Amino acid sequence: MKIICIVKFVPDVDNIRYDFENNALDRSRVRLILNPDDVCAVSVAFQIKDRNLDTSIEVVTMAPVSVKTYMEDLIRLGADQATILCDKAFAGSDTYATSKVLAAYLEKQSYDLILTGTHAIDGDTSHIPAQVGAWLDLDQISGVTWVDTEGIDKRKAYFKVDKENEVIDFEVKLPAILSLSRESSYKLPYIKRTEIDRDVSQSLTFLNKEDLNISECETGDYGSLTKVVATHTREYQKKECHFVRADEEGIETIFRFLEHKGFIE
Amino acid sequence: MRSFEEIREEMEKFLSLEQFNTNSEDLYDASADRYKKYAKAKGVLDVPCPLAIVYPKTADEVSRILQICNEERINVIARGGKTATEGGLENWCDRTLVLDARFMDQIIKIDTYNSQATVQAGVELQRLEDELRKLGYTTGHSPQSKPVAKYGGLVATRSIGQFSTLYGGIEDMVVGLECVFPDGHIARIKNVPRRSGGPDIRHIVIGNEGTLCYITEVTIKIFRYYPENNQFFGYLVKDVETGVKVLREVIVNGFRPSVARVYSEEDAAQHFYHFHENKCVLLFMAEGPKGIVNATGEAIEEAVEKFQEGVIKKVDSQLIQNWFEHLNWSQKDIDDEVEGMIANDSHAGFTTEISADWETIPQIYSRVIERVRNEFHRAHDITMLGGHSSHSYLNGTNMYFVYNYDIHCAPEDEMMVYHHPIQKIIVEETIKAGGSMCHHHGIGKYRSEWTLDEHGTAYYILEKLKKAYDPNDIMNYGTIFPKEDGIKKYIK
Repeated sequence: MKIICIVKFVPDVDNIRYDFENNALDRSRVRLILNPDDVCAVSVAFQIKDRNLDTSIEVVTMAPVSVKTYMEDLIRLGADQATILCDKAFAGSDTYATSKVLAAYLEKQSYDLILTGTHAIDGDTSHIPAQVGAWLDLDQISGVTWVDTEGIDKRKAYFKVDKENEVIDFEVKLPAILSLSRESSYKLPYIKRTEIDRDVSQSLTFLNKEDLNISECETGDYGSLTKVVATHTREYQKKECHFVRADEEGIETIFRFLEHKGFIE
Repeated sequence: MRSFEEIREEMEKFLSLEQFNTNSEDLYDASADRYKKYAKAKGVLDVPCPLAIVYPKTADEVSRILQICNEERINVIARGGKTATEGGLENWCDRTLVLDARFMDQIIKIDTYNSQATVQAGVELQRLEDELRKLGYTTGHSPQSKPVAKYGGLVATRSIGQFSTLYGGIEDMVVGLECVFPDGHIARIKNVPRRSGGPDIRHIVIGNEGTLCYITEVTIKIFRYYPENNQFFGYLVKDVETGVKVLREVIVNGFRPSVARVYSEEDAAQHFYHFHENKCVLLFMAEGPKGIVNATGEAIEEAVEKFQEGVIKKVDSQLIQNWFEHLNWSQKDIDDEVEGMIANDSHAGFTTEISADWETIPQIYSRVIERVRNEFHRAHDITMLGGHSSHSYLNGTNMYFVYNYDIHCAPEDEMMVYHHPIQKIIVEETIKAGGSMCHHHGIGKYRSEWTLDEHGTAYYILEKLKKAYDPNDIMNYGTIFPKEDGIKKYIK
């Protein structure tokens, strides 16, 4: 069985620093992490491989060269192959152009299952999985919280989708695209110490627009159907700090504050 | 060689049942300290469990236990409040007894007229401090582990507290002590203000990390306490070097604030989230009699004025005071940390503390940061890297490197994949620059590979002490004194 995981590396938004003097995000020390929903997608792939030893896994991303270290770690964790679709012309692509690039690569590959995350924490449009499905004429479903990793085979997969008020069981004919939600809580395994410095460069491939036979006008700003008109950095207000003592007056102050904010009646 | 059961039988002739613990969970807990806190929380420790934890009640019992262990070549690990961070409490031997000071918990005497107090090894620092406060006195000793640390451990590791710039480290506080050697000899070092009776033998015991003897009783200085006079000062400064210059100015001018610290911007961000503004933070606390506090406060402000080019702004002293009053760990904090490690596959980070003279500290700091960022093979996993100086002396100061990282390896591999390579860079740069690799956490087991580099030709003195007092090598195997087999098995 061949599984392809489409992944994205995103800024670790929980740890971004805010420069209050210049009223801007301090991007100089922003770290990248594997998008949390994509963590679940790759984790499911590893779990399937653990239970079906003839499984092979490829991870694919469209990203700058700087994600190489992170993709190498996914190989050390158990992916058989990693592919980075990387070209200056891809920069600025909207979800339409991005899905087109991904599909241009995927349509030349053989696979039984494509796994992705549902949302990305930096954009959150959730367009990519569905658009890739449209380009490849594959069924796609988002919000997957459980996959039957034992019963899966090349023809079908059983899985669950957690809607707000109900959990729905599905069976899908493969190939198809399943998009995981972080609520699934699938976790990546650890890299073994003996693996952590292993040279995995042989399993890592970089492909550019020529390799994918994509013209410049199909990607980046040119190929995007949507345009960003303007971006605004959210302004953070510095909060005033009040100290109260752990006495009757302090308790009363906190009580009045919570009452005013509507937390207690 | 007798079996453990036979040895236990012999010990039970003078120990009661409650003094012997072979509960498997407790033995697992006793097999390592906070060095492997994450692996321990995850239940994957790779070291053997001790045979038992024994709780002696008197120096005489310690003497009899040690004599048996010495005859039977059983490794002995002395344990107090369990807050060691460098593997000093980790077990590397198949036959080990942990000697826990839990039942030696008497405050023997508080003598305010002579400004000294005598306690048994198992007395918690916080308990003595609470008793002294009722009398208007303080120990002057306040490590972050204060609520759980015990006197035996504090002395055995050459501990230091947050008010050290005024009161000194534990070595400046110990007046006299009682300890027991592996052959069973009980030695009492008497309590006198000073003497010239040969080398100061207190210093053979202080900091021995349980490798030479077992400390059973300590007499320490106590100090008048004037909390009503406390003054706090805080500043945002442009870099660590400016902060170190201000610290030096205050100290070399002859003033002794109890707290004198500078934090790098990264470290400041995690301590002072409400006011750091992505800058370095410099802070002081002055305490003592009013006149001294006022004079110290003036000296701090003058020093800040002298280096005003690097000082961005003053911080509300109430913020500094509030932060300081919530700094110490409690047992609940430690328990919560363990729960967090299990649930989140992460921990609150690690530290390595070094010291050097004023001139060298900023150089070591920048060289270490540069090397870790450029040479550490998992640098992309680092989520925080910085440091602070928190203990200053006439000729120099310390640097507390602080770092954290996303863990992408098995819990049992974490220390060797992340912490140890970073610590190695810090130690290499410090020793190369003439500083000390271990300011106050001790050498433990995980810095023992560099003990010879740390001491150089003076290691001769240490080595001879070990041979003289512990010829059978039963005291805390692998701690301070490097053991090739243990290093090969657990570090390389």
